[in-house]
Amino acid sequence: MVSITPTALGARDRVSRAPRGARRTGTAYLFLAPFLVLFCVFVLAPCVYGLWISLHNWNPLLPNQPFIGLKNYIDLFTPGTLTSGNFWESMLATGIFTVASVPFLIVIPIGLAQLLNRRIAGGTVFRAVFFAPYVLGVAVIGVIWKYLLDPQVGVVNHVLGMLGLPANTPWTVDVPWAWVSLVGVTVWWTMGFNTVILLAGLKGINAELYDAASVDGAGAARKFFSVTLPGLRPVMTFVTTLTILASANMFGQSYIITGGHPGNQTRTAIMYISDEGLSQNQMGAASAMSYILFAILAVISIINFRLQRDTTK
Amino acid sequence: MSTVSTRDERTAAALPPRPPVGGRTSALRRSAPKIWLYVSLVVISLVIILPLIWIFLTSFKTDFDAINSPQNPIPNPFTLNAYQTLLSSGQQPIFRWFLNSVAAAALQTVIILVTASAGAYALARLEFRGKRIVFGAIIATLLVPPVIFLIPNYLIVQNLGWLDTIWAITIPGAASAFGIFFLRQFFISLPMEIEEAARMDGAGDFRIFWQIILPLSKPALATLAVLSFLNNWNDFLWPVYVLLSPENLTLQPGLSILQGAYSTHFGIVMAGAVIAAVPVLIIFTLAQRQIVDSVASSGLKG
Amino acid sequence: MKKGMARRAIAATLAIGVGITLAACSGSGGGDTGGSVKAGDYSGPKVTVTFWNGWTGGAAPVLVPKLVKKFNAEHKNIVVKDVPMEWGDIAKKMPLAVKAGKGPDLAVGHGDDIATYAAQGLLLKSDSIVKSLGYTDSDFPAGLMKDGNYNGSQYGIPWSVTPLGLYVNKDVLKQAGLDPSNLPTDKQSYLAALQALKAKGIQGEWVDGFVFTGTFEFESLLWQYGGELFNDDVSKATFNSDAGVKALTWMTDLIKNGYSPSNVAQDGNINALVASKTAFNWNGVWQTTNTALSKVDWTAVPVPQIGDQKAVWSSSTHWMFMNNKGQDKNKTSAAATFVKWMNDHSSGWAETGELPAANSVRNDPALVQKYPNLKPFLEELPYAHYETVAPGITNVEATITTAVNEAVLGKKTPKQALDDAVKQANQLLEQNKSQYGG
Repeated sequence: MVSITPTALGARDRVSRAPRGARRTGTAYLFLAPFLVLFCVFVLAPCVYGLWISLHNWNPLLPNQPFIGLKNYIDLFTPGTLTSGNFWESMLATGIFTVASVPFLIVIPIGLAQLLNRRIAGGTVFRAVFFAPYVLGVAVIGVIWKYLLDPQVGVVNHVLGMLGLPANTPWTVDVPWAWVSLVGVTVWWTMGFNTVILLAGLKGINAELYDAASVDGAGAARKFFSVTLPGLRPVMTFVTTLTILASANMFGQSYIITGGHPGNQTRTAIMYISDEGLSQNQMGAASAMSYILFAILAVISIINFRLQRDTTK
Repeated sequence: MSTVSTRDERTAAALPPRPPVGGRTSALRRSAPKIWLYVSLVVISLVIILPLIWIFLTSFKTDFDAINSPQNPIPNPFTLNAYQTLLSSGQQPIFRWFLNSVAAAALQTVIILVTASAGAYALARLEFRGKRIVFGAIIATLLVPPVIFLIPNYLIVQNLGWLDTIWAITIPGAASAFGIFFLRQFFISLPMEIEEAARMDGAGDFRIFWQIILPLSKPALATLAVLSFLNNWNDFLWPVYVLLSPENLTLQPGLSILQGAYSTHFGIVMAGAVIAAVPVLIIFTLAQRQIVDSVASSGLKG
Repeated sequence: MKKGMARRAIAATLAIGVGITLAACSGSGGGDTGGSVKAGDYSGPKVTVTFWNGWTGGAAPVLVPKLVKKFNAEHKNIVVKDVPMEWGDIAKKMPLAVKAGKGPDLAVGHGDDIATYAAQGLLLKSDSIVKSLGYTDSDFPAGLMKDGNYNGSQYGIPWSVTPLGLYVNKDVLKQAGLDPSNLPTDKQSYLAALQALKAKGIQGEWVDGFVFTGTFEFESLLWQYGGELFNDDVSKATFNSDAGVKALTWMTDLIKNGYSPSNVAQDGNINALVASKTAFNWNGVWQTTNTALSKVDWTAVPVPQIGDQKAVWSSSTHWMFMNNKGQDKNKTSAAATFVKWMNDHSSGWAETGELPAANSVRNDPALVQKYPNLKPFLEELPYAHYETVAPGITNVEATITTAVNEAVLGKKTPKQALDDAVKQANQLLEQNKSQYGG
């Protein structure tokens, strides 16, 4: 897994080191063919088709889908239109969630991976326990936490009350607590995945580097910053990118736990796009929103990779 | 692997680089911090496990009990009512849904393993024209919000006559950009030399792929298999659209039917969650060492 | 590199090709509302009628299979296939499935879905079966037939109604020294009861800001104050009128004056009633089948009259004959036979927590005798208000919930919340009009 390097987007350096000898274009496409058929039909074509849809007033249930050019996009950037206010409010929600969740989803797993990286009895058991919630679907963890966090019948508030703390916190009803819940549930649910990957990264760091640092008289903190973190960087790129993407695509937790309330403050971009496109049948507008979200994610990912590449040099 | 894992305990320069397990002096010196290590691991584990146990217990409560005394862990009275409602409903073939889920998840996993490993082999080990474009396109689609695929794929599936069949919930999702990316990264890390030796013996690409690369990649393939299986098992948005007959449903959308339209039947909702969760938790328990170790061993190769 | 470019071009062409094919297909899928249902007992070859419904709660999972089995046994040439699912799932999958020719032959839907489905060409006209069943407006609660009517044609046949009522926890009332046999009916008596409860430290009604049931309570109050949600031709939203503001202010005042806690979760109020933490809850007739209530000494009465007139929110369900791509006429006729049979056998329907729509069945004294809990809900029907009929209306209705939620949680004043929502609603109405026509 350490081999996951910041080359994912610009594959140049790896490609140039690829096997010597003649190009085997025919063979390569033979190997790629089964995947490419699926990929073209079910991924690439829908992407292109979605772009086409976004240029129309597209209700899939009506006989006519009038072409309206860039109007769907222009509307999104024109204050006061039907979609712009809702869309940017939902983008704000996605932004808040991403900014609030990604640090926890990186820092906590690094800490856990450090703990698990000691030689201890039962290490595999703990590792398995930390990972376990990740195997559950969002539909399951959603209903579980909706019940546990319910302000009135939820056990969380009951326990807090027994400890003499406020017992009426509206975990699922009002902000900012709803954000605390959504971030907390997401950390509980997915931190195990990141932990396992980072743990593998830790194990891949050359032990002699630590020895050398010890010889230099480095303390635990300095070793962490001068050996552990640099050693983890390739894995971190992978983990950070995946985590940002997952957080930016968050939908199920809000949908199930807060219903997007209060008002529409916890309705994330994907939740709004889904509603607009699938419930309200405004596929044109929904597609346009998807592509704006895609553009923003692409920029963030490229910046992320650039940053990582620069610091590794 | 065990030799590597001890490294960051060697804080004192005086210790030998790789102390024998249970070395007397080191054991003494480490005992105090180790207690704290265990305490923190156990506390974190409880935070993770308690909610699941709580839900398990709640599934044996009556609706009244679940609403009235959520703070009591022990059901009072203990009832199997929720499970009876779920499992014995004459209307709902829940075992059929379970089998459908298993079949769909398994089929999709196999397709992903076959297509992604072959594709990843080309991307990782072969030089060819258009490689950068193909790989770039695959990576770029990872960034596209999944919701965009739904309507176009619905129309494609409809045109192929796949609505309400297992193909609808296995084939479109099998175009796994993540899978090919994940395996490519692993294949790249395998040393070139093994392949060159085989080539010298006259082995072709297919033999190298089949007899050398794949056997060496078992851990990564296992990881991808488990992640793919889980992904399909837990999907509930797409099946709601494309599966129409009750006998063709999978477990996730099927359970939502049983969880009642209006009232807050907490017992039934939680029993449904338990039924959906237990199979994957069992699979995970059986395969967790495999998943985690495969990740670890691929890390060591880097 | 040239070859790479060529390949990319091929890939792009392929993708666009698929796209255009799809566009063509989806275009042809959207037909107009051509056919209509023929009445009379079906006598053709043996057919299977697929029937989608949201009957998952109460006694339905037992009752429906029983009825279907009985019908199938009595009709050798018809097999009805009962497909129950969540209402939300029906809304998701039905439109696309019908366009694909894979939808049901028969379905049950809510009043506010019918116009949308009709405008989308998903439904067959059912004027002729209505005629053959001999139904007129007066066979159903006032205004209910209109709910299934769109652009002058009947698309839905009423099946059930589900009004809001006032659920009461009698034990809690007794704690506050109130007489459970003398329950509040108007503003004065309701406030007096809330005051007495408050004196004992009990918050008598828990106001929530969700569809279930804050929105329903708000709409009931708005009608009581003489307001309307929309103007007559549903081209403008009017729920920010004085009546609307009064209605929402009534709800927020309950919180402000300490009769209700703030930040109540969805279903938090009925749960609080079950847990004997509150005395009153405005909730739907479907709660009569809530198993958790069976442990509580409860009753239900008509919702009190807070405003100037009696009014209460009610939903309704209707039979719909689906216009699948390539719909088999025999199946539709067989479905009509089933509908007729079900209407004749609907007396047991009350057991599912819904009131049968047919007056003849509902007004049979045996019904109340068997299900005394339903009496107050039956009493309300003369002044019940049903869903608004207009294509795409459910999307507009969602803005009402947003306003109620924002006001109840104190994010905005009632006036501000309603004004903002009306602005959104009007834009949505305009969008609907441009898509579906007048």
